[in-house]
Amino acid sequence: MPKILIKNVSKTYEDTNGNPTDAIKEISLEVEDGEFVSIVGPSGCGKSTLIEIVAGLQKQTAGEVFIGENPVTGPSREIGVVFQDAALFPWKTVKKNILYGMEIAKISKDEQEKKLDQYLHLMNLKGFEDKYPSQLSGGMRQRAGIARTLIMNPKVTLMDEPFSAVDHLTRCTLQEELVRIHQKEKKTVLFVTHDINEAVFLSDRVVLLSPRPSVIQREYRINVSHPRSRTDDYLVHIASEIVADISRGAISQESDFII
Amino acid sequence: MQSKKGKKINYINILQILTLVALLVYMQVAVTKGAVSKVFLAAPTDIIEEGVQIISDGTLWPHFLVSVEEILVGYGIAAVVGIGLGILWTLFPKLEEYMNVFCAAIMAIPKVAILPLLVLWFGIGFKSKVVLIFLFSVFTILYNTVTGAKECKESYHKVARVFEASRVQTVFTVVLPSALPTIFTGLRLAAATAFTGVVFSEMQSAKAGVGYLLSEAQTLLNTPRVFFLIILITVMSVLFVKIISLIEYSVCHKWRKV
Repeated sequence: MPKILIKNVSKTYEDTNGNPTDAIKEISLEVEDGEFVSIVGPSGCGKSTLIEIVAGLQKQTAGEVFIGENPVTGPSREIGVVFQDAALFPWKTVKKNILYGMEIAKISKDEQEKKLDQYLHLMNLKGFEDKYPSQLSGGMRQRAGIARTLIMNPKVTLMDEPFSAVDHLTRCTLQEELVRIHQKEKKTVLFVTHDINEAVFLSDRVVLLSPRPSVIQREYRINVSHPRSRTDDYLVHIASEIVADISRGAISQESDFII
Repeated sequence: MQSKKGKKINYINILQILTLVALLVYMQVAVTKGAVSKVFLAAPTDIIEEGVQIISDGTLWPHFLVSVEEILVGYGIAAVVGIGLGILWTLFPKLEEYMNVFCAAIMAIPKVAILPLLVLWFGIGFKSKVVLIFLFSVFTILYNTVTGAKECKESYHKVARVFEASRVQTVFTVVLPSALPTIFTGLRLAAATAFTGVVFSEMQSAKAGVGYLLSEAQTLLNTPRVFFLIILITVMSVLFVKIISLIEYSVCHKWRKV
């Protein structure tokens, strides 16, 4: 039984002239329990649309999504989502932001405090709990965003280009932390990125989407154990293969890949 | 470098002070020498003297209190109703759809034009003033609340949704806090117009209040008192707006940049 099952999912938009346009077309994907899968593809290929459908934030036009045995009918606390720009509330402190989900779920204060301590530790946020988001660096903000999602202990975690707004060095650190957390917690993660090296470094499997209407162009299994080296021959080889596949599949398409 | 910049500012400041002093000296000389009639202009010393006079003999105090009370009650009700209704509209969009046309219509009426009606309905005392101040302020506060709520970022809504926040939870934990700066803008704008409302209505028909005192002074051709009251009303209005800004600062300064 896969943890995330995406079955023939399509999404059709009406463009400004009222003509139906396919964003994604009949995508099927299975993510196993504890697996880390990345989705890469050219910009505008519908990666974010796909992840929002899995999160229940958008409705697909056809097909089904299952988390475990349950079909996704809308957003749920069992499906954790980490957003692109962290989407912290600027009027709340880091602590209050991280605890937001627990407040909404009306979990007892004692439980909140206990978990908070644990996740502040896990995300290296100790000492920053009383700061406001505007007082933090981009990397710190995203750490808080991840903590806010993980503290709810969701069955699966979806991440939509979470590190795209931070500088390169911070991104590398955050990637290593994410690997460490994933090794420790063994969560099922579906990760969207346009950074191929990031996808290869983090994932057990990388899924390449084609340009619109997007279908799965190819999958790459990365059988290298963690901790990985960024200069590992095999990883470098896979990354260049993905790049080659993209340019083959999207010859006249503009792409924004970081190679 | 810094001292140079400081000098530049000082230089302009000195010019400003000189201009002001020149104006005051002109008023003083022109009036005391009889070049301008005492009916049209007041000498600064006369204005001060008149001010001290009406404060010390107790003429001003009851009127001042009446105006302050009218403002506080009228503006207070407007703030509660404006923000409250804004919250209700955000919670129940159908209510906005239903009420909006009426509110827009009442808002479009120049408030000063309905003063005669208000006097008929509520008399020339406290009540008609409170109602007028309320009408002056409530729409600015209401529409700023609603606009602020609508400008809440899509990503904040998504966060609320993934944590399964209910509609009420979303409005109170996400939409309203994000609208706070806009709500305070409304409160500040309304504070200034509330003063216009109170002074105007007291000048038109009243038995007490600073505006009443002002129109009385004008009838008696007591120009120094007119000047003093204008200054007093201006200072009160500026202070009131400052108080609102202070409240906003104490609520928002921790998380807002700047």
